[in-house]
Amino acid sequence: MDIGFSVEETRFREECRDWLHANVPAEKRPLDAVDAIGFDKAWQRRLFDAGWAGINWPADYGGRGLSIVQQVIWLEEYAKAHAPWIGANFVGINHGGPTLILNASEEQKAYHLPRILKGEAIWCQGFSEPGAGSDLAGIKTRGRIEGDELVVNGSKIWTSFAHVADWQELVLRTEEGSQRHAGLSWAICDMHAPGITVRPIRKMSGQTEFAEVFYDDVRIPLSNVVGGLGNGWKVAMSTLSFERGTGFIAEQVKAGQEIAELVTTARANGMIKDDRIADQLAQMRAEVAALRAMTYRNISEVVRIGQPGPEASVIRLFTSELGQRLERMAVLLMGEDLIDFAYGDDNAVQDYLRGFAATIAGGTAQIQRDIIGERLLGLPKSR
Amino acid sequence: MDLTLDDEQEALRTATADWCRAHMPLEEVRSRPTGLWGDLEAMGWTGMTAPGMDLDHATEAVVFSELGRVLAPIGLISTTAARRWFADGFDGKVALALPAEEPSDMRVLDPGGSHAALMWTASGLRLFDMPNDRTHAPTIDLSTDQSRQQWTTSVSTEDAAAPLHLQLLAAAYAVGCADAARDMAADYAKLRQQFERPIGWFQALKHICSDMAVRAAVARSQLYYAACSLDARDTDAAFHIAAAKRLGDQAALDNGRANIQVHGGIGMTDEASPHLCLKRAHLLQFIAPADAALLLEGAA
Repeated sequence: MDIGFSVEETRFREECRDWLHANVPAEKRPLDAVDAIGFDKAWQRRLFDAGWAGINWPADYGGRGLSIVQQVIWLEEYAKAHAPWIGANFVGINHGGPTLILNASEEQKAYHLPRILKGEAIWCQGFSEPGAGSDLAGIKTRGRIEGDELVVNGSKIWTSFAHVADWQELVLRTEEGSQRHAGLSWAICDMHAPGITVRPIRKMSGQTEFAEVFYDDVRIPLSNVVGGLGNGWKVAMSTLSFERGTGFIAEQVKAGQEIAELVTTARANGMIKDDRIADQLAQMRAEVAALRAMTYRNISEVVRIGQPGPEASVIRLFTSELGQRLERMAVLLMGEDLIDFAYGDDNAVQDYLRGFAATIAGGTAQIQRDIIGERLLGLPKSR
Repeated sequence: MDLTLDDEQEALRTATADWCRAHMPLEEVRSRPTGLWGDLEAMGWTGMTAPGMDLDHATEAVVFSELGRVLAPIGLISTTAARRWFADGFDGKVALALPAEEPSDMRVLDPGGSHAALMWTASGLRLFDMPNDRTHAPTIDLSTDQSRQQWTTSVSTEDAAAPLHLQLLAAAYAVGCADAARDMAADYAKLRQQFERPIGWFQALKHICSDMAVRAAVARSQLYYAACSLDARDTDAAFHIAAAKRLGDQAALDNGRANIQVHGGIGMTDEASPHLCLKRAHLLQFIAPADAALLLEGAA
C-alpha cells in the first residue's frame, strides 16, 4: 500500500494544472439550463481541442485512452482549479458515452462518441417514469416494432436537460405483454423527432433543469437499439453501475474545498466558538479525508482486479449524504441571510435546495441501503 | 497509489484471522487462557515494526484490525509501540497508561504480567516502571483489567511519529471492533426469524445493518490511508491518523449500539456477545483520542 504517485503521474498532474490554470473561464456558468447550453458546449469543445475530453475513453473514438488513475488526477485538478461543472454534457460524458463504449455497435460508437466528446451532441436520460421511480422495472413506455422502426408511445420524467438535448438514452418496453426486467430495450432516441413534447419542470431551487417527456407515435430506427432488442435492463444497469463506481470523483474533490471554505467562514463570523459547530466541522473534515481514501481504495481495486470492489456501493451513499451535510452547514453559517433567498441567486441556499437530488436521483438513499445490505452483507432480498 | 492489500498482506490478514478464531475467539473474551500472552508474543505481532523488522505500518494496521475484531488484549497496542520506540529491551508485556497529570494517580490498562506501562500523550510516549504490589480491578470492557499507580521513574521519546504510531494501532483496534459488530448483526439478521422470515428481510433492520457497513468501510479506508501517511512520513500524517481514530471510534461505538438493537431482547443480555463490542468501543474512546482542533485545521 502507498499513497504516492509515480513520476509519470506527477508530471501528468502538472500538465493538467498548467492547462487549467491558463484556460478555466473567468465567468461563472449560467444557472439555468437554457442560458447555460452555449457555455457548456463551448467549454466542452475547448476541453476536446486541448485533449482533455474522454481521458480514459478509447482513442479510436476521440478519447485519450489513458489510465483510470490519470482520469482521477484530471478530475482532482479540474475541481481544484474551480473549473465549471460540465452541465448539459453530464449525461453524454458520464452515462450515455460509457454505456455506448460498453454495449454499442461499431457504427453507433463511431457516430456518437466523438460528437459527445466535442460537445456537439447533448444527451439526456429517459429511464424514470411517473409510475416507475425506485421500481424502475415498472417501465410502461412502449415501442411497437413496425418494419425497421420502433413506434414509441408513453412518457418519461425527471429527464435532466431534455429541453436542450439532441439525443436520449431511452429505456422502453419493446416486447408486448412482457413483465418487469424482461422485454425492455435501450435505444438512442432523436430528441428532435416528430411526436416528442417536452414539458420543463421547475425545481424548488428555481432552475428548470429537468423535464417530463411525452412520446406520441415517435419513430426510432431499429438500428438505434443498443445491445440488442430485449436486453435493455442489462444495458441500463451497466450505466448505473458505472455511476456507482467512479462517476462521483469531482463531487468528492469539491467536498474537500467546501469543508475548507466552511471552516474559514465559521472562523470569520465567529460561529466556530459554538462547540457543536466546531465539532461538526471537525467531523466533516475527517469524513472528507475518508471519502478520498475510500475513492482511492476503490480506484486501486479497479486497477488491480479490473472492477470496483463490493464496497463501491458504499461510496455513492456516503458521498451524497456527506454532500448534504456540508450544504446544511453552509446554510447554517449564513444565519439570517438565508431569508433573502430568491430564485436566480447562486449561493449556498441554492446549493442546499438543489442538493436534495443527491439522495434521490439515480437510486434513492433507501435503494442504496438495500443494495448494500443485500450485496455487501448478504441479507435476504426484500423485493 | 494503491490502497489494496497485496498478496503478502492478504495472506497475513487471513492467517491472523484464522489464529484468532481458533485461539482467542471474541465470545470467550472473559475466559482467556493464562498462557495466551506467550502465544501472542510468539506470533510476532508486537515486533512487526520494531527496529530490524522491515514491515510497514500499513501491514501492521491490517493485522491489528484483525486483532481488534476479536477484542484482543489492549496490552498488544502498548507493547508494540514500546518495542518500536524504546531501544533498551522491554522484552515482556507493556501495559497502557491513560494520560494523567502528575501527581494524580495513573490509570493503567491491562496490567497483568506487565513490568512497565506506556503513557500516550499527543506530544510523546513515556514508559514507566510498574510496582510489583498492585491490585487489579475490572473495567467496563470485560476483556480488560486495570490498576492504579503513582508516578515512577520514566523514560520518554519525543519522536513525533511515536504517539502517532500508538494512535494508529488504537484506530485499527476500533475499526476491527466496528467490523465485529457489523458482522454479528448481519449474521443474526439472517438467522433470526420473525413474521415467518429472517428479520434482515425487513428494510427497517436491513438499513441499520447497511449503515453499519458504511461506517466500517469509511473508517477502514481512512485507516489504510493514515497508515500509508505514517509510512511515508507525510506532513499530514498527524491529521490523517487523528481522522482515522475519530472515525474508527465512532464506527465502533455506533455499530456497537446498532448491533444490540438488531439483536433485540437477547442483545440486552450478559450472556450474548453484542455488549462486549459496545464496552470495548467505550474503552477505546479514551485511548489516544483524536484532537478535534487538529482535525479542524485539516490537511495541507
